[in-house]
Amino acid sequence: MEVDVQSTLTLREFGCEQNLLSRPDGSSSFVQGDSSVLAGVYGPAEVKVNKEIYDRATLEVVIHPKSGPPGVRERAREQCVRETCEAALLSSLHPRSSLSLVLQVVHDDGSLLACCLNAACMALMDAGLPMGCLFCGVTCAIDQEGQIITDPSAQQEKNSRAVLTFAIDSAQRRVMMSTTKGSFSVNELQQCIAVSQKASEKIFQFYRDSVKRRYSKTL
Amino acid sequence: MAAGFKTAEPLEYHRSFLKENCRPDGRELGEFRTTTLNIGSISTADGSALVKIGNTTVICGIKGELASPPTETPSKGYIVPNVDLPPLCSSRFRPGPPGEQAQAASQFVADVIESSEVIQGEDLCIEKGKLCWVLYCDIMCLDYDGNLLDACLVALVSALENVQLPEVTISKETDLAEVNMDKKRHLNIAKHPIGSSFAVFDDSIVIVDPTAEEESLSTAMMTVVTDEDDRLCTLYKPGGTSLSGEKLQDCISRAVTRNREVSKLINTVIQSVKPQK
Amino acid sequence: MRETPLSNCERDFLLKAIQEKKRLEGRQTYDYRNIKITFGTDYGCCIVDLGKTRVLAQVSCELVAPKESRPTEGILFFNLELSPMASPSFELGRQSELLVKLNRLLERCLRNSKCIDTESLCVVSGEKVWQIRVDVHGEEVTVYSADERDPIPLSIYHMPICVSFSFFLQGTYLLVDPCEREERVMDGLLVIAMNKHREICSIQSSGGIMLLKEQVLRCSKIASVKVSEITDLISRALENDKRVRKEGGKFGFAESIPKQRITALKSDEAAIEMTDMEEKAEGIISSTEPPSEPVPSPVVRAPGTGQVGESLENAWGVEQLEEEEEDSVDHVMDEGQEKEEEEEEESQYCNKADVVVISDSEEEEVVVLHQEAQVDSKQQVSGPQQPGTGDSKKKKKKKKKPVQ
Repeated sequence: MEVDVQSTLTLREFGCEQNLLSRPDGSSSFVQGDSSVLAGVYGPAEVKVNKEIYDRATLEVVIHPKSGPPGVRERAREQCVRETCEAALLSSLHPRSSLSLVLQVVHDDGSLLACCLNAACMALMDAGLPMGCLFCGVTCAIDQEGQIITDPSAQQEKNSRAVLTFAIDSAQRRVMMSTTKGSFSVNELQQCIAVSQKASEKIFQFYRDSVKRRYSKTL
Repeated sequence: MAAGFKTAEPLEYHRSFLKENCRPDGRELGEFRTTTLNIGSISTADGSALVKIGNTTVICGIKGELASPPTETPSKGYIVPNVDLPPLCSSRFRPGPPGEQAQAASQFVADVIESSEVIQGEDLCIEKGKLCWVLYCDIMCLDYDGNLLDACLVALVSALENVQLPEVTISKETDLAEVNMDKKRHLNIAKHPIGSSFAVFDDSIVIVDPTAEEESLSTAMMTVVTDEDDRLCTLYKPGGTSLSGEKLQDCISRAVTRNREVSKLINTVIQSVKPQK
Repeated sequence: MRETPLSNCERDFLLKAIQEKKRLEGRQTYDYRNIKITFGTDYGCCIVDLGKTRVLAQVSCELVAPKESRPTEGILFFNLELSPMASPSFELGRQSELLVKLNRLLERCLRNSKCIDTESLCVVSGEKVWQIRVDVHGEEVTVYSADERDPIPLSIYHMPICVSFSFFLQGTYLLVDPCEREERVMDGLLVIAMNKHREICSIQSSGGIMLLKEQVLRCSKIASVKVSEITDLISRALENDKRVRKEGGKFGFAESIPKQRITALKSDEAAIEMTDMEEKAEGIISSTEPPSEPVPSPVVRAPGTGQVGESLENAWGVEQLEEEEEDSVDHVMDEGQEKEEEEEEESQYCNKADVVVISDSEEEEVVVLHQEAQVDSKQQVSGPQQPGTGDSKKKKKKKKKPVQ
């Protein structure tokens, strides 16, 4: 049992490329296992009058599914990503301007929302927008036996009893965003949060490494 | 002068109350507004309920229709929830196609139905692969004063409890559905998912059941949905300022109490209707 | 967001460079930009990079009933999207002229040329991430996917490839594969779709430029060379992808991240060293107050109507709160009654609120907060709520009397 717990608590290999698109002010592609999301950020730029907010920037988030038009599920995801970004960004530094974040799902193999969040954060970093803290997304699945699987694949998500996605901030490692599917006990929730907080360290270390590499000017 | 203060510095105005552990409407931080429930409000629907939490008023009507079950799950009926935020309920909503909040709320309700397994899909099946019930749950907000999601869930659960569907049989000879309007039955509601919404002020102060004004001033929103076995069905926090595990636990604990309160309310109200029949 | 217009000096510079047979990226007149084709782990999915233009294509299929007019044919559907990621001037869900033009072009060269379905390169510059939904609706129970083999591959008769030519200064100068900047100063665009058998599938000329017969012929000759090059490249990429899949090697977008670039980083599968999560969870749960057991009993107002709220516990706020929650349109009728029931002070506040002098009641709110108990303020605020709350009062009124 002990061994099993260990083996399911892994993050699939992940990779990231920043600044890969020429037109957006910031862009990134984030890959987690086979899940892959492309993100582009424009801004701060001119804002439409009806969307103008007098004391901060207006952030718009669009998520494009791979095929078909975006549906209600994408809208709910967009809301989660937007509000997470809004909390991290110091948008009051750019009042009356617009920021737009476009996410394109390239491949969905589980932990998609977490991957979207990570791609978003990397793109915001690439755009050089001022942020109060970084954030990362972690997905945990609880399987039929009550075991926690971090960063599940689509197949694992399908077989699990509950799927929980959290956004963790880098400053205090607290929960910024949470959406869940399926029912679970309070204890399981707290375990998932603890695991996600631990996993976030790995991801933040990855962020740090990639930024370090970028500015080291050597490979 | 006070009115001026409220208009000019709404956030400061709220803070001055929160400092004293109370809120502008006199509630304590962990106090819900009075919740009123009326079931069977719409006589033409198969099931309906009207819920008021403070000023927030939500009405839910459920219409059952016969359909052929989806090919992937031939032995299950399904529920289609829809949350409507008409311009009637608040000046912040415009006419036209559903806005983001309405869509997010619809998705939230759909997720809760799926996660909590309010109704076993099999209960809605009439004949495997041939005929099943589809429950269209239309939830409409009549007055928006914050905490929409809680009100939606209470309305949904109560309306589902209120649903009476006629007996349907498929006759052997004609292979057509026969509806027996005289024999009606209630649905078997397995779980009562009840939500509790929280708003976070200034990164640390958590208040329960926010009004529309508190919602717009808060830095984060969160909704915890529990069922009667104290299991969590949804922990929905769409971004905003972060909360620690301990703070979340406080909220969950409050949500559990709230669930008992509301479950009791729903049961009492349903009991109050039964003897008359 | 509007697109930033091109300045005059930029325009002049570009045109001048073209006159000197020079291009921005140092390409020659007939040079194509680099083409990179990456296949995803899904079948029927690929990303094509043409210089800095990037396009994502996904083929999906669904079983549907065939069209009545053509019962033996499947349905082919192309959808091109100009994502706002590609340029801030592309708006979501808006049918721009460019989008319509490109969609039409795709349809013409893929559907109308009867090649059933192909992955085609549509050359339009400017870093566009297009999601082409090539939905193939088949009638038979076969799973289609474009350009791939594992489930029954789509039979592709030929692959039309588009090559675009831009004309400058009334057709004096010609460039192959214009980039975004060049497109903005061009006078006309000619797109030729051709397959490797040198059959032209479609020609589209836009921009309102008059072309001579010789020019078109010359372009088609250039196109035939380019087309055979690109066809080659596609088949090689397909071969490669097929081989890797067969060998069980790594493929997909994750592998396409360049390793030799400082903007990219990859990390291996990482285990999370976590052994104390259960203790941690227990700790948090046990340190929190358990939910309070006794919950207030709901009050049944009438059959089918009940109410619960912490405020009900509040001994003397009861009357007031009930009023506030249940007050209804026929308020006037009950006013006299109300007064009898309540303390003088209360009814005074209540009446004030009935008149809906919101500013008044709020003023008092604040005073109350600083002077007296919270209970008072509750009562105050109940004022503005009254007009909004509209439940049937009549029946509740009846109920209320016994409570008192």
